[in-house]
Amino acid sequence: MRGLSSSKKMIPIVEGLFEWPSESPRLIASRCPLCGSVQFPKSSVCNNPDCTHDATPEEIKLSEEGILYSYDIHMYDLREPFSYHKAPYAIGAIELPEGIIILARLTRYEGLKIGMRMRLKIDRLYEDDENVYLTYFFEPVEDGGEEK
Amino acid sequence: MTESAVVSATITGWKSAGEPEPAAEILAQLAVKTLRSAGLRPADIDAIISTTSAMPFDHPSFLSTPAQHLAHRVAGKIGTHGIVSMNVSGACASAAAAFAIADSMIKAGRFKKVLVLGYDNSPRGFYYSFASYLDTDTMIGYPLKVVGAVNPTYWAMWARRRAYETGKSIEDIKELMATIKATLSQYGALNPYARYRKVFTVQDVLASPVVDDPLHLYMISAVSRGGGAVLITDMETARGLTDKPVKIAASTAGSPMYGEPSPRLTYFTTAGGKNAKPPFAEWRKPIEDAYRMAGITAEDIDIMEVHDTSAFHVINWIDQAMGWEREETDKLIRSGETRRNGKLPINLSGGTSSFGEAVYAQALMMIYELLLQLRGQAGERQAKKDLKTGMLTAYGAYGSYGTIILEKAW
Repeated sequence: MRGLSSSKKMIPIVEGLFEWPSESPRLIASRCPLCGSVQFPKSSVCNNPDCTHDATPEEIKLSEEGILYSYDIHMYDLREPFSYHKAPYAIGAIELPEGIIILARLTRYEGLKIGMRMRLKIDRLYEDDENVYLTYFFEPVEDGGEEK
Repeated sequence: MTESAVVSATITGWKSAGEPEPAAEILAQLAVKTLRSAGLRPADIDAIISTTSAMPFDHPSFLSTPAQHLAHRVAGKIGTHGIVSMNVSGACASAAAAFAIADSMIKAGRFKKVLVLGYDNSPRGFYYSFASYLDTDTMIGYPLKVVGAVNPTYWAMWARRRAYETGKSIEDIKELMATIKATLSQYGALNPYARYRKVFTVQDVLASPVVDDPLHLYMISAVSRGGGAVLITDMETARGLTDKPVKIAASTAGSPMYGEPSPRLTYFTTAGGKNAKPPFAEWRKPIEDAYRMAGITAEDIDIMEVHDTSAFHVINWIDQAMGWEREETDKLIRSGETRRNGKLPINLSGGTSSFGEAVYAQALMMIYELLLQLRGQAGERQAKKDLKTGMLTAYGAYGSYGTIILEKAW
C-alpha cells in the first residue's frame, strides 16, 4: 500500500479482516447468495433468520466509504495484552452501503461529527522488534481521505 | 400453566472484586439461609439452577473450571438426594436467565421448589471480553484486539447517538447521566448491602475524569463480588410457606436480534441502512414478551430495577420499557420522578451504580430489592406509593437480555 513501508515485516493484527498484502486493501466480508445478508468479519453461515440457509455465503469486499453512525473517544491506555491501543483514540461505528454498521479505529479523535463521510485506511497500529502490526482505520473524507 | 411465586431470597453484601474467597461455601450459606427462612431443608428442593462465574482461571488446560459448575458444587455442599442441577451463562443477564429457566420448570408443572443461585468475583479493573486462544471465531471479542473497543466504548456510542437523534448537545446528556448517578448514590448510601455508600452531586460526577467520552468515570459501574439465592415455588406451595408470596407474572430472556443497528457489546457488526430495525429493538423484545406474558402494559409498572452498568443504561431502559418519546424520559429523570416519592421509582437499591457489578449474580440483588419493595420491607428506601407490580431488566455482553415481572399476591 502506498505510503506504508517498513524494513520490518508488515502483518495484519488479525488475519482475514482485510486484504493484505495489497496496493489498495479493502475489508473482507461475506454475502449470502440467497438472501443477500452481509456479514463482517466473513462467515460460513448466513445470519438472516428468514433465509433457508441452503447456500454458503460468498466472500465480498466492502465499500471503502461510509457514514459515521456514532463514536467514542477513549481516554485511557488499555492494559496488557492490549496496551498497544494508546489513548486518546476514537472508535467509530461506520454505516456502510452494504447495509451494515461496523466498528473501526478512527485516524483522529478531534473534529468528529455524526453523519460525516468516512473512508477506509489500512495503517500501522503498533510495532515490536520484528513486525509492524496493521489494522483498518476510517478517516473523515473532509480531511482529504487520501493515502500519503 | 402452573402459577409460580418467589418465596424467599438472600444476598451477600457486595464487596470489591478480585479478593479471593470460597465461592461455593458462600453460596451454600446463602442457600441454607434462604431455605431455612421458608422453613425448608435441602431435602425439600427439586432443583438448583445456578449461574456460572466470570472468575479467571490460571492454567490454559482447564477447559472446564469449578467456576462454571457452582450448582453442582453447592448441591454437594448442602447435601441433596441427587436433584437436578444446572449451570447457566448469559453474561450480565445470567441470573435473569437462570431465574427464567427455574420459573419455566415450575410453570411447566414438573418441579415444585427450585433454588436459583448466583455468585461472581470478577477480575479487577476494566472488564475485558476476549476469546480463548482456542476459540478463533473473530466475530466475537475481537473488537477489543483490533479496534480497542472496551465495554464503555459501546455505551458511549449509544449515548452520543441518542444525543444526536434527539437534537441535544453532548453536555445535555452528560448532565442527565450525572443526575442519575447523583440520585442513585443517595439510595446506595441507605443500602447496607451496597458497596458504595458515598453520596455524589452532579458536579462531583462531571468533575470525575472522562474515560469514554461522553462517559465520565462515576457514570460507569465498578466490578464487584457478591452472590444471592432465591427460592421459587408453585403458587400453592408458596402460600403454604409465606403469607407474602410474590407472583412471578413473567420471566423472559433475549438474544441478538437480526436487524439491530445499535453496536452490540463484543461484536464488530450490526445492521445498517434499510436492513436496520429501530435502535434497541433487541432490548425491547424481551420486555414486550414479558408484558404479554403478564397480561399488562407499561402503565401497570409501579417500580423498576434496571441493570445500570452505566448511567446511560438507566435512560435507555426507561426509553425502551415505557415506549415513550425520549423527551419524556429526560423529563421524568430531571423532575425527580424516578425517586422513591416519584411516580416511577427506579433502582431504589442504589443500582449497579452503588453495588458495582458482580456480573453473573447481578439480577439476584435486583430481585432481592423488588421483593423488599413489594413486601414493604425496604426501610428508608421504601417507595412512597402503593406497589403492586415491579419489573427488572437485565442486559449483558454478547447480546444477552432478561426481564422479570413480579406482582404482589396477597
